[in-house]
Amino acid sequence: MAAGRDYREEDARPGQSSPPPAVLVTLAAAICAGVAGSLASGVMGWIAVGAVALGGAFFASRTAAPRKMAAELGRARRLLLLLDRGGSAEAKVPPDFVEDWAQVYEKVNRLSFEARGNPASGAQVEQFKKQVELAASLVRDGKDPLVEAPELRAGPLLPLLEGVKGSSSLPVVSHLSLGEEEELIGAGGDALPPDWPKPSSDEKAPVVGPAFEAGLRDLVREIESLRTTLAGAANGQTPSAGEDPSLRTPAQLVDAVVLTAADGIEDLAAGLMRANELASVAERVTNRATLLALNAALEATRSGSEAFAAIAEETRRLAEFAREATDTISRLSSEIEYKVGETITAIHATSNDAKTALAEMSGSSAPLPSSRSARVQVVRLLDRSRELLKSLGGSAEGSDSGPDGPISIRSSQEPRNSAQDNVENAPGPAEKSPVEGILLIEGLKPGAHFES
Amino acid sequence: MNLGTRGALTFRLGDYSFAVRVEEAGGILDAERLAQLPGVFEPVAGVAAFRGEMVPVVDLASYLGIEAPVQDGPRYALVLTRGPDRFALLIPEIPKLIPGRELREAPPDSNDSELGDLFESVLENDQDHFHCLNYWRIFETIIPPAGSSAGRSTPMERGN
Repeated sequence: MAAGRDYREEDARPGQSSPPPAVLVTLAAAICAGVAGSLASGVMGWIAVGAVALGGAFFASRTAAPRKMAAELGRARRLLLLLDRGGSAEAKVPPDFVEDWAQVYEKVNRLSFEARGNPASGAQVEQFKKQVELAASLVRDGKDPLVEAPELRAGPLLPLLEGVKGSSSLPVVSHLSLGEEEELIGAGGDALPPDWPKPSSDEKAPVVGPAFEAGLRDLVREIESLRTTLAGAANGQTPSAGEDPSLRTPAQLVDAVVLTAADGIEDLAAGLMRANELASVAERVTNRATLLALNAALEATRSGSEAFAAIAEETRRLAEFAREATDTISRLSSEIEYKVGETITAIHATSNDAKTALAEMSGSSAPLPSSRSARVQVVRLLDRSRELLKSLGGSAEGSDSGPDGPISIRSSQEPRNSAQDNVENAPGPAEKSPVEGILLIEGLKPGAHFES
Repeated sequence: MNLGTRGALTFRLGDYSFAVRVEEAGGILDAERLAQLPGVFEPVAGVAAFRGEMVPVVDLASYLGIEAPVQDGPRYALVLTRGPDRFALLIPEIPKLIPGRELREAPPDSNDSELGDLFESVLENDQDHFHCLNYWRIFETIIPPAGSSAGRSTPMERGN
């Protein structure tokens, strides 16, 4: 299409005349030589005639060569133009015919490209041109090319000619001769015919193959399926709320936060139980050391030896040091167990409060909160859960508040809720057995099992 | 004040505090695993190994009828020696060694008469007072010494 358009614009440029043919140049040179010969005489006259003749011949050769080359190139480009227009999907031709045109166009285009530097391809182009001319002449005479010229059956024009034969409307190219340049498009500055190929006399629809219909049905079916899928996505019909975290509801987010906190606390509780086991082992070691120190002191007392008493005293100090460390570990462990249990209780209470609030908002006549307000509520719940976890982490990091100190999980400026009130009003670890905390941990999640 | 002892091992059993003079004590051992003996009196908790010998262990609380709180924690055996004889008292805690200089004799009160001939003396310091019992008499009431027709013998009779 581009080659044909460029050629047409180039040839239709106004004010530009074509160069004179070589015959006219040669004739003009001979006339000039005769005039010069008649005017001059002698040797100088013949020299003038010869010079004029040589100049005319040189000028003729300079003008005839590019014109011949341009003519050949123009002929090839017009052929490509016609094939291109014939292979266009916009042309009102049967599909098989279009495909044939496309194949021929592709083959000619490839041969033309290869013919620039390959003599063999140039010969193939020449042979193809001859087949086209033969086929065009036979069609123009109203004959069947495939019957009249058997060599066309083995050529690249076979599918094209079969398509032309089977079609009710013969394209215009079958009536054109590649040798008649003035009839071709653009040679004389004429535009392309408005509708090409010419419509047939009857308005009979072109023949469409069953394969084409089946392919079209499949395409329509796939497009319909895609449209249905896109429509469902646009209406908010998500496959599952749990697949995409961004599509969860606030209640699901609260549940996720609670479960995440529960998992973390459960791991912490498991580690705590392991620490308790190690603490019990350390306590037994401490008891053995205490027994050793006591036996040493007993023997020192019985014997009255000062050296023995010194050793016994050092042993007693070592045992006391171990005892203090073991007692500290046991006390911290008990406090952490207690606070873990309280944190679990607070998390459950917060989760229930959040769910209740969400249910009230959903069931009330008040307008539903916007997505922004819902996000704000979720952020508040997350902050509250984070504070609960922070209080747990603070208890694990240090126990400066002591076992009898109040458990504060928020500042006094913050609003109160039932869960936090439960935490603050609960008795201290000294008043509550750590076993209750363990029981709370065990009840945190189904299947959780702790060995005490 | 001469108490006739360098010190005492004290322990608490229920609401009472008891003391064992260091001259009678042979050592303390962990009574976590006692070997049970069949066909013995209830106060005999079992036997324990002490320096290569088998030592009978008597549950003092059970013998005296003191209701001590049941606990699953470790228990200890305070070994008493008298010549070649040894037995141990099962106590729920590690006893404390109080030097003799911190102890003094205390007058017995009316409750001590309930102990009968088991009562020996009462020692006290600034915090508490401790009952010293004739522990060997307890042992002999449970396990009579060999060759003793009466089933009981005093330390003087046994040459100690």
